[in-house]
Amino acid sequence: MRRRPFLLGCGCLAFAAAAGLRADEYDYPMPPRFTRPEAGSDEGGLWAFMDREEQRLKRSSFLIRDKALHDYVNDIACRLAGDHCPEMRVYLVRTPYFNASMAPNGMMQVWSGLLLRMQNEAQLAAVLGHEIGHYLQRHSVERLRDAKSRSSFAMIVGMALGVAGGGSLGALAQTGILMGGLAYGRDQEREADRIGVALMAKTGYAPAEAGRVWGQLLEEYEGAKAAGEDVASSNILFASHPPAEERREVLAAAAKRDWPGAARTGADEYRARLAQHRMGFLHDEVRRRRFGESLVLFERMLKSSPRDGQVQFFKGEVYRLRAREGDARLALDAYRNALGMDNTPPEVHRSLGTMLRQAGDSAEAMRAFQRYLELKPDAEDAELIRSYISGSQS
Amino acid sequence: MIFGMRRALLGVLLLLCAGLAAAQPNLAPGFTRLAPNSTIALMPADVELFEISAGGVGEPRADWTAAAAKNIMADLRARSAKLGARATEVTGDHDDVVEGLNGLHGAVARAIVVHHFGGLKLPTKDGKLDWTLGPDVAKLREKSGADYALFTWVRDSYASAERKAMIVVGALFGVGMSGGVQQAYASLVDLRTGQVVWFNRIVRGTGDLREAEPAAETLTALLTGFPL
Amino acid sequence: MRLKPWLAAAALCALAGCAQIVKVEPGQVTVKDTLTLKADIAWNRFELQFPLSVAPGASEVWTQDGITLDALAFFVGVEQGKTLGTAIGGKKLPVFRSTMTPGEIVELYEQMVTQDGSAFALKRVAPGRFGGQPGFRFEHTITRKSDGVLLKGMAQGAVVKDKLYLVAFTAPAIYYYDRHLPQVEPLLASAQIK
Repeated sequence: MRRRPFLLGCGCLAFAAAAGLRADEYDYPMPPRFTRPEAGSDEGGLWAFMDREEQRLKRSSFLIRDKALHDYVNDIACRLAGDHCPEMRVYLVRTPYFNASMAPNGMMQVWSGLLLRMQNEAQLAAVLGHEIGHYLQRHSVERLRDAKSRSSFAMIVGMALGVAGGGSLGALAQTGILMGGLAYGRDQEREADRIGVALMAKTGYAPAEAGRVWGQLLEEYEGAKAAGEDVASSNILFASHPPAEERREVLAAAAKRDWPGAARTGADEYRARLAQHRMGFLHDEVRRRRFGESLVLFERMLKSSPRDGQVQFFKGEVYRLRAREGDARLALDAYRNALGMDNTPPEVHRSLGTMLRQAGDSAEAMRAFQRYLELKPDAEDAELIRSYISGSQS
Repeated sequence: MIFGMRRALLGVLLLLCAGLAAAQPNLAPGFTRLAPNSTIALMPADVELFEISAGGVGEPRADWTAAAAKNIMADLRARSAKLGARATEVTGDHDDVVEGLNGLHGAVARAIVVHHFGGLKLPTKDGKLDWTLGPDVAKLREKSGADYALFTWVRDSYASAERKAMIVVGALFGVGMSGGVQQAYASLVDLRTGQVVWFNRIVRGTGDLREAEPAAETLTALLTGFPL
Repeated sequence: MRLKPWLAAAALCALAGCAQIVKVEPGQVTVKDTLTLKADIAWNRFELQFPLSVAPGASEVWTQDGITLDALAFFVGVEQGKTLGTAIGGKKLPVFRSTMTPGEIVELYEQMVTQDGSAFALKRVAPGRFGGQPGFRFEHTITRKSDGVLLKGMAQGAVVKDKLYLVAFTAPAIYYYDRHLPQVEPLLASAQIK
């Protein structure tokens, strides 16, 4: 079975060329509905491969099985995709990285790290619209047929199939890299950006939010770089072309056009819909141990809602876990600030107590521990905390 | 769990470690055969069938698994009737006792395969088949009235239409892929003590549990030496 | 966490062929020159050539009934700035600091044992003594990724002269944890740190 020549030609994409961007580059007529390609074609093979990944994803313990949140995101994606809505299946995945992807078979993944980072519904729509753009233009199939990307795709297929030493990757990372590994070309990214803006505007979302997504990502990138973190491996999107700066500028310029009726940002609704998952997503973000990125993210979140006690607490956690020279002080400041804010979790008192104790301020530490026990008397570490208070533990 | 243990085990068993066990490797010390007139509870088979598309891990197939479980249980029923053994069935869907013990059996069986039949012998076991499911099996005894329970643990994988598409995709890029392996463990457990009194396992590249006839062949191989 | 099957087989065979498992005789036992214990019964000790996912990078791993059933993992003298256990599959682990609270050490342990995708839940952490020193003890559960079996766990540890000493015992919640705990408790109670 080895080394069969790559399937030649394949005329099954006759309409792909017809669809696409016309005179006004933001006037996007959608291609007609897609049907399943021939099983024996290269595209059919790609679909089968993605079907397999989708089966895996459906059983994954990382799938966020919250119908309300799923329906909310699905509804946004559906409105963006218009007639193509029935072809799509949205999966929310609990993994703390910025990523969304749409496979040629209609499987769309939205990672929790993306959900956490988007400030409003319009920003999420911008990313989803971009991915739908790749899907509608069948970019992955184009890439598959491009000789230059074929060898790297082979490696990725091999990795996902477990034959090329990719075993160290988790299933999710695999799928993510798999999608990223199709490594859309520069022009494809530009096209997807244009389509994304067109779709979000048509759906009533403020297009200016699209450029902001890239601006935010760039800030985190700079934060990571400044912190000496390994930026190349940290985010698939940082490695993509064209550069984020260009995309930010082009998208910002696009937003200045006249987009009648496209004004919705939906910040409040977005926040409310995510509220239930926010502590978990923030916890995952901190456990990633990419402190430079997390700090930029948290500062941005605090800028838009300065009384957010959850974020303020986790900002303190970043400093506590990073534990560099001077971080203890910064952690203490963050925790103290969180005390007067909204929705501050009880754990802030435990962390505050821990840091105070290490700083030698045992009287105030004990008060913090007391408060933690008052708020969470059944905590799994209640005995330990009590022992600190009673002083039996030095 | 050692990384990649399941597959690794196959390699170990097939390549190196077959036939290294002691004289009566399949029987617990002091046990020779079932007492006359004893009743055996047939535990629901812990079976999972996979499509081999995932290169070594496979994707579980619920329909195949259901067919295999049905075939295995039907064969065990027919077999015990033919041998004149007294068998009773334990049904276990959403039963914590049955599911819990079946899960534990999987772990015990793998320990036996690695540490008794495999190369990683445990010095404290002194070469003896000395494993137990513990006193919780009393609950099975109450449930079934049986003296022993027969546990089966089966994992099998097959090529599929999807697999074939994958082989095409793989071949397009010069990625070669291999076929599936059938792995099955059976334990006879004394419901008074929890002791595994007889154990057998097969590891091979043939067989098909999705169809009744080849499934019976698998069980014949798996139950070879059953101490009746 | 998937190795190429034959590679894993080779690794395991290498282990099986070269070193295997060694008997720990009852009596005084020393782990890594600094932790001494008194064993009332014999144990089986892995001659580790590659990390076991129950405790990747442990100084020693002992078992009674086998690796899928029970594991007693020793982490002896983890130094300031070093990780508890070893990272697998390109994961990043936090490092130990001698000023860490027991709660923070539990975080280190959790990050180590969940690298393979297993789920960890802390049930209790409390002060205690270990190795003749003030220390801590925690209890937890692990839902094992590879087969979904629920394990119960107990660990004891202490930070002595800026080094972390931690011994963790895990076994299936059905029977095995309770079966071996009565042997593990006195063993750990006998621990002395040199």
